Amino acid sequence: MIEFQNVSFSYDGKTPIVQKIDLVIKKGETVGLIGANGAGKSTIMKLMLGLLAGEGSIFIDGIQVKKQNLPQIRKKTGYVLQDSDNQMFMPTVYEDMMFGLRNYGMTKDAAEARVDAVLGQLGLQDLKYRYNHKISGGEKRMAAIATVLAMQPEVILMDEPSTALDPVNRRIVIRTIQSLPQTKLIASHDLDMILETCDRVILLSRGTVVADGDCRTILKDRELLEKNRMELPLCMQAMGI
Amino acid sequence: MDKLSGAQSELREMDVLATGTSVVHRLHPLCKLLVTITYIFIVVSFHKYDLSGLVVMVLYPILLFQATGIPVHVCFYKLRVVLPLVCAVGLVNPFLDQTPMVQIGNLVITGGIISMLTLMLKGCLALMASFLLVATTTIDVLCAGLRQLHVPKLLVALLLLTYRYIGVMMEEASVMVQAYSLRAPGQKGIHISAWGSFLGQLLLRSMDRAQELYNSMELRGFRGEFYYSDIPDCRAGGVLFTLISCSVFVCARVVNVAQLIGTLLVG
Amino acid sequence: MHMADALLAPAVAATMFAASGAVVGVSVKELKKDENMAKLPTMAVTAALVFAGQMINYTIPGTGSSGHLCGGMLLSALLGPQAGFLSMAVILAIQALFFADGGLLALGANCWNMAFYGCFIGYYLIWKPIMHSRLFDGKKNADRIRIALASVLGCVITLQMGAFSVVLETTASGITELPFGAFAGIMQPIHLAIGLVEGLITTAVLLFIYEARPELLTELSVGAKKAKSRCSLKMTVAILASVVVMVGGGLSLFASGNPDGLEWSMFGNSEAGYSENMALDEDAYGISSKAADTAGMIQEKTAFLPDYAFTGSDSAAGTTVSGLVGSAIVAAVAVLICMLGGFFRTKRINGNCEDT
Repeated sequence: MIEFQNVSFSYDGKTPIVQKIDLVIKKGETVGLIGANGAGKSTIMKLMLGLLAGEGSIFIDGIQVKKQNLPQIRKKTGYVLQDSDNQMFMPTVYEDMMFGLRNYGMTKDAAEARVDAVLGQLGLQDLKYRYNHKISGGEKRMAAIATVLAMQPEVILMDEPSTALDPVNRRIVIRTIQSLPQTKLIASHDLDMILETCDRVILLSRGTVVADGDCRTILKDRELLEKNRMELPLCMQAMGI
Repeated sequence: MDKLSGAQSELREMDVLATGTSVVHRLHPLCKLLVTITYIFIVVSFHKYDLSGLVVMVLYPILLFQATGIPVHVCFYKLRVVLPLVCAVGLVNPFLDQTPMVQIGNLVITGGIISMLTLMLKGCLALMASFLLVATTTIDVLCAGLRQLHVPKLLVALLLLTYRYIGVMMEEASVMVQAYSLRAPGQKGIHISAWGSFLGQLLLRSMDRAQELYNSMELRGFRGEFYYSDIPDCRAGGVLFTLISCSVFVCARVVNVAQLIGTLLVG
Repeated sequence: MHMADALLAPAVAATMFAASGAVVGVSVKELKKDENMAKLPTMAVTAALVFAGQMINYTIPGTGSSGHLCGGMLLSALLGPQAGFLSMAVILAIQALFFADGGLLALGANCWNMAFYGCFIGYYLIWKPIMHSRLFDGKKNADRIRIALASVLGCVITLQMGAFSVVLETTASGITELPFGAFAGIMQPIHLAIGLVEGLITTAVLLFIYEARPELLTELSVGAKKAKSRCSLKMTVAILASVVVMVGGGLSLFASGNPDGLEWSMFGNSEAGYSENMALDEDAYGISSKAADTAGMIQEKTAFLPDYAFTGSDSAAGTTVSGLVGSAIVAAVAVLICMLGGFFRTKRINGNCEDT
């Protein structure tokens, strides 16, 4: 589904942010992307979306990420931003969800039916006509996920989906992620959430892949995690591993 | 700095009012816009001594306040912004214009006093009318209406987005102001040493925000077009409202209604 | 400096709307060259920031008072004149609509007074020439000094022009009895102080940006780009001088009108017929304004003004006993409407209660 071939990126041509990454992510996999601040998590996502252009090649569902393919790529991928305020720029949740659909040429009625279906799927019908600047942080995050789901992406990228949420809202987000069948890539420092949602984990450090493998195996490896400025997930700590 | 939080709650208040469901709320935004502009246009066109003619214009905002159930005090609170300048300009009139206009017993009312009162009344009425427009129309509907008027899409989209981010930026600014004042007790404002970095920091952050925002627009296929929400159909009601209101305003401008009634009664 | 609706005659308001509308049109056309509107989010977020930034108090050292930012100069230094103007116009529109600062009818005038001068004049005549000039080239902090100079000069000059326009517009509207010269005499010095403070705040913010992310500033003359502008120092001086001459010339033109000037503001309305009605002696008033006469000429030339727009009504002097009685009846009707409204609302609420 997703393939990275020798991908590198740097802003100034000198200090590399991402170095020679090779990766394959299979269809339907949920992959956690972990690493210290500045390890390159967000950059990798932006490279996949074509928001940044680096060296090497990236393929999504067989289509190479490059300028002329961007509309196709972006139709297949959904990106949940870390700050939902940046994602939800229209006045109401409804208009925000309609925005992308209408831009891709859907008729108003078809788009509206899609919006209703997605809101129903996530149990957010009440949010439809609410104003984005007046809904709570948890609602905003869920609405942002709904905005992305409305586009029916095949790959979903999430940047820190659980930050700044209270435990109940965090739980709701985790359940939602678990319920989504799409291929998912989740960047987060919330290792407990990664443990609950992902099958596979990729550990990044200074722009390179340090470890790539089964979620439980990597998140159990105290030495590896601490070497890369992380800690065991809390639930593992409680279990005394 | 209470100004920021004050403005935030004012904005919230207007939002709540605008989501009401009265008849006026359901009118087509362009009808309301046209009526409001006509009203203000006519109000300010009254002659500076024509206080009695102007008085009848009071009825329009009063009717609308009653029809919508919007509390008047919210509007009066806003007068504090606009009245000082109007008063400052108007207050000199009684001193400079001593033309006697009306004599009641020994009391002589000069032209200056009348023109001052007229000016203040104009200020209040114009404000009330535009307040009523915004208090009965949400920003998205208003923007959709503006697009129908063929206002350039860049301008309308800018208005919509700016309005959306004003809340976010005010929140960020007030958090910074609070953080500042917690470490600088007793200071009224930002000290000169922090003048640049204070807004500068915010500015840098907002540039990043703008970049993210643009990414998110691009990712959803943005090509320069915004799709606005549905606006109420311009049905007979709206047209009727516009026609009647505008012709009543024009009549009230041409005929001094108050004086007419008075003449009929007093002779 | 926000003009209120009440201070403008319809004709003046319409003229200013047309002027600002034209500038909006030109700006939109310029920005439309980029079909993807890539600048839109930056404009919106920066406008929102300036809006919030206007509410922050800056303590002025050595005084008890505080200053504020207006933002025209700041916006055009960051976004360029066209985008800056549109952002400022949107800020003004939101202030007028949601905060009653300014007014719907006065929006055109406000855009002109604050956004046009601050963005276009400030950019093309001050920011750009100074940033391109070789002023202070030998100094270590040449760029910084240029930024400071451009900011302070820009804010002071554009605010002076704005304040002068407020005076012009108010006088041309025939609203105040305050003689033109006196009004200008109050407004200009006040806005000189305001402009200085705003200039300093703008300087501080722009210098911070210069240190942190210089690429955000427009027209920053770095290295190679600089070669193309040579004689800019002369040009700057020449332009500034011509601006001063224009403003000064305009002022003196208005100040040197004929001494019977006040007649305009008081008796210029004789078409409406009340100076005869009132049997006024034109010489009974000791106050005279030199400027008002000229302003009166302008008013006559703009033609579509309140006094003349509805000459048929002939109601200027209608404040008589019958006027008072009529007004009282209007007031009574107003009270009645309120009572009826209250009555129906309570009834509806009661009705709803019974339903449930």
